[in-house]
Amino acid sequence: MTNTSLTLAWRNIWRHPRRSLLTIAAMVFADVLLVFMLGLQLGQYRMMIDNSLSIFTGQMQVQDINYLDEPQMYRSVPEADQLAKKIRKQTGLEAVSARAYGFALASSEKRTIGVQITGVDPAHEQQVSTIPGLISKGRFLSTASANEAVIGSTLARNLKIEVGDEVTLLGSGRDGSIAATILPVVGIFNSGNRDLDRQMMEIPIDNFRDVFAMGDHAHSIIVAGEREKADSYSQTIESIIKDDSKLILHDWEALLPGLKQAIEADFFSAWIMYALLIVLVAFSMMNTMLMSVLERTHEFGILLALGVRHSRLGRIIFAESVVLAFTGMIVGILAGSLLTLYFYHNGFTYPGMEEMGERFNIPSVLIPEVSLRTILPGPLVVMIASVIASIYPVWHMRKLRPIQALQAA
Amino acid sequence: MTIENNNAVKCRGVSKVFSEGELAVHALSDIDIDISAGEFVCLSGASGSGKTTLLNMIGGLDVATSGEITVTGKRLDKMSMSELADLRLHHIGFVFQAYNLIPVLSARENVEFVMQLQGVAADQRQQRAMEILEQVGLTGLENRRPAELSGGQQQRVAVARAIVSKPALILADEPTANLDSANSDKLMTLMRELNASIGTTFIISTHDEGVMKFAKRLVRLHDGRIVEDELVEEK
Amino acid sequence: MSTGTQLSWRVIFRLAWRNLWRNHRRSLIMLSAIALGVWGMIWMTALMRGMVDQMIDNSIKTLSGHIQIHAPGYLDDPSIEHLIPPVDTSPALQELLHSSDVVVWSQRIRVPAVIRSEREVYAVTLVGIDPEKEQGLSFIGESITDGDYISSVNDNRLLVGRKLLERLETKLNRRVVLMSQDPGNNIAERGFRIGGVFDTDPQATETSYVFGGLETVRKMLNMGSGVSEISLLGHDYRKLDALKNKAQSAAMENADVKTWAEQDPYMGTMLNVMDGFILIWFTIIFLALSFGLVNTLLMAVFERTREIGLVQALGMKSSNILLMVLVESIIMLIIGLVAGNILTWLTILPVQDGIDISGVAEGLEWAGMSSTLLPALQIKDVVLANTVVLVLGILASLFPAWRASRKVPIEAITRVWQ
Repeated sequence: MTNTSLTLAWRNIWRHPRRSLLTIAAMVFADVLLVFMLGLQLGQYRMMIDNSLSIFTGQMQVQDINYLDEPQMYRSVPEADQLAKKIRKQTGLEAVSARAYGFALASSEKRTIGVQITGVDPAHEQQVSTIPGLISKGRFLSTASANEAVIGSTLARNLKIEVGDEVTLLGSGRDGSIAATILPVVGIFNSGNRDLDRQMMEIPIDNFRDVFAMGDHAHSIIVAGEREKADSYSQTIESIIKDDSKLILHDWEALLPGLKQAIEADFFSAWIMYALLIVLVAFSMMNTMLMSVLERTHEFGILLALGVRHSRLGRIIFAESVVLAFTGMIVGILAGSLLTLYFYHNGFTYPGMEEMGERFNIPSVLIPEVSLRTILPGPLVVMIASVIASIYPVWHMRKLRPIQALQAA
Repeated sequence: MTIENNNAVKCRGVSKVFSEGELAVHALSDIDIDISAGEFVCLSGASGSGKTTLLNMIGGLDVATSGEITVTGKRLDKMSMSELADLRLHHIGFVFQAYNLIPVLSARENVEFVMQLQGVAADQRQQRAMEILEQVGLTGLENRRPAELSGGQQQRVAVARAIVSKPALILADEPTANLDSANSDKLMTLMRELNASIGTTFIISTHDEGVMKFAKRLVRLHDGRIVEDELVEEK
Repeated sequence: MSTGTQLSWRVIFRLAWRNLWRNHRRSLIMLSAIALGVWGMIWMTALMRGMVDQMIDNSIKTLSGHIQIHAPGYLDDPSIEHLIPPVDTSPALQELLHSSDVVVWSQRIRVPAVIRSEREVYAVTLVGIDPEKEQGLSFIGESITDGDYISSVNDNRLLVGRKLLERLETKLNRRVVLMSQDPGNNIAERGFRIGGVFDTDPQATETSYVFGGLETVRKMLNMGSGVSEISLLGHDYRKLDALKNKAQSAAMENADVKTWAEQDPYMGTMLNVMDGFILIWFTIIFLALSFGLVNTLLMAVFERTREIGLVQALGMKSSNILLMVLVESIIMLIIGLVAGNILTWLTILPVQDGIDISGVAEGLEWAGMSSTLLPALQIKDVVLANTVVLVLGILASLFPAWRASRKVPIEAITRVWQ
């Protein structure tokens, strides 16, 4: 019987080719837009996340349990290098690096500016951050105990210093003692991130520990790696730190809540727009199915007279809308994927993109994502909405009496 | 007509009142009739005399206001909508004036459709449909859609579809109304032949004298009452 | 008899009206779709406008003003080295600032500094302000939630953001020390009592700026009479070109004059991209609608093929039939539009005081927005939405109307349905 329903459905759809084509076109239009927009959005999010995380933050970080909320110097992770080594060993990841953060007044000959000092492990930092690779002048730090510093390009300009000049740091250590040192600048980095370029100085971590009286502590252990494997990494790390109640593992959503919420806000507002589009297409579908049903009342009377039950009649009509909606979905997915693939290979940009990109750490040409999760949801929702919309016409037939139906022209 | 078991149709005190606001129209008043298996009955009468209403009620398409209708031993007034649908599917065949067929299905598919509803296996369906279409003289036209058939051919397909499930009863409501007299005679001859060869009971409504001459029993309705009920001498 | 006389509009209208309601279900579905489409167009636009307005407003209030005047090089290196002479030394500038083109203005000293409490140290921007003149210009005058606003340029108390106060682990009326650099590159240091705490959106502003009296800051920095910037508000943040030119010519030839949009290219671009985006949004919604509209009309025409053939045979002109279908479509569009506008009005009234979107607050803060959203209903958007639907709707109806007006073959009139 299913076969007959499908045959009937398919043939009935093509009784009015123009009407059905217009209805399919409405669905395809919505599908193409949704596939493309979703691809663009997810592509953009991925770039935002990857670019934001790869500069400095990493995928996840082990910290003192309160450090994220109140970043005070004394909230540190003890025996950090051993812990980092342990994580490296058990996860098999090389991209694990300890960092310590502090604040100091940095003075050059001409200027004094408050700067963020980050103590990094030169041997591993380049695996968790792109900054070591973004040195525009000079070189990156050499060893963990070297007496040298690299600074952001804007900071260098504001301090009016060049590679080779010395900077005096004055701050307070973990124990409240005065922390002071003089370091030659060996490199200047240009990360493209306004805040980092303006505020940050990186120095070797052991040197940092000496200056700021940190002992063997650090403030954070940065873990980077493929995002797809994040779950298994975090399980391993959780089990390493589970005995120490003072430590916690933060994922990137916790480290950059603003980024996560910006993505959610954008995603949410986009779906409100999509919902409207989908509802309008569903109206189109409802109208088509209603027309199709109303003009065939007599035919349905014949079916009822032949002994077709109302439930089966309902299924026959429903099959029609499902076939129509399904056809729309298939064509929509194909057309949407083709369009998105085109931009996947050629990139997509629009006016204002450059300013937007700067703001959100993304390049000014977007590469949309083409994957099942971008090409399926939109067309699927359109199809479901269309099928739901056709419930009304089917419901309308539910009380059809054979006699009335047969009398209809 | 006295042997109850042999009755294809039994009506007792069947009335139908259509009420339109204040006005009540008595379409059928107190109809009593028994029709035995194998009869070939013509219901005649002017339009509005109640022929179609009576046929619809015997076919379970419409419900009587009062009275009892029994078809193949089953009381229609005690049956649900879906039981009625099953009764029609297995025991009653319909032929209407026009537009009998499902327009998107070919002649053969229209005939097969009923068998599909009944759950007949695919290979049997096709073979049987071809046989029946041959029986009604439509060999060669099996794959045409209704729009590609003449009015007479369409009605033959409708008859073929009606008899394909070997129903006990076939109800035909003015089947020749849209046909010329030559085609009309051909259709009636076909139905008489089928009546004779497979023994199916036929009840045919008509106001056409040319159709009535094919009747074995002629029932005349006037204003919702039976005014005449006679057996016709075989010529 | 294929050329009859022109029917009166009344007759055409009546025919169209009655035809429209022959299949009331179909027409109602289409009307709902149009109404919903217009509703969506206007609503989303009001929200987007509201969002951008708010972002721009925040940006302007966060010290930018409509126009800022700096010393050349200041924006690149916002230090004490790049100063401009104060307003009272420039008659031309004074004249402009007191003219009717300028609503409010103020001058500030704005330098990087370090703030230290008993427990913590942070980098901030120290802003020396004229408290009276800041009122209505930037957020600071209206954001004090604890303690007092400073009373004069000589006030020696400090205004600190709520979040910074927490980070510094200090309290209102406690003392903090500010350090910066004086013109001679010596460290300038001064203790301040926290006189007031401000709360503002975005929260980053609370940790970035501290405010003191202009003269007090000047003394602390051992500096002369110069200022870092002059900020002013004109009448309309969208039309600042003329004012900017006046400011440029009034200020010293070397001064760096910038509008808010030039200072924050992201915001400026947002505003420009907005109009184009709205038109695209309208068109997309209309296209989604148009499939249904064309379909509905085509069906209506198709159903009436025989009838149209009949009136043609009776001598009705093709142009009359075309008009009849067009009028039917226009009636449908207008009813749908009216319903959509009423729906918009009814749904936007209850939320005119703002929609709470604090659930995604931090993300919005990234984009420079507050956690309540004010829909900004602009008449021009409403007009544009209605025009787009009506004009494109009529264009889309031309095809079905043309189909209807074609000569119907005689077979269509006499043919049997099927």
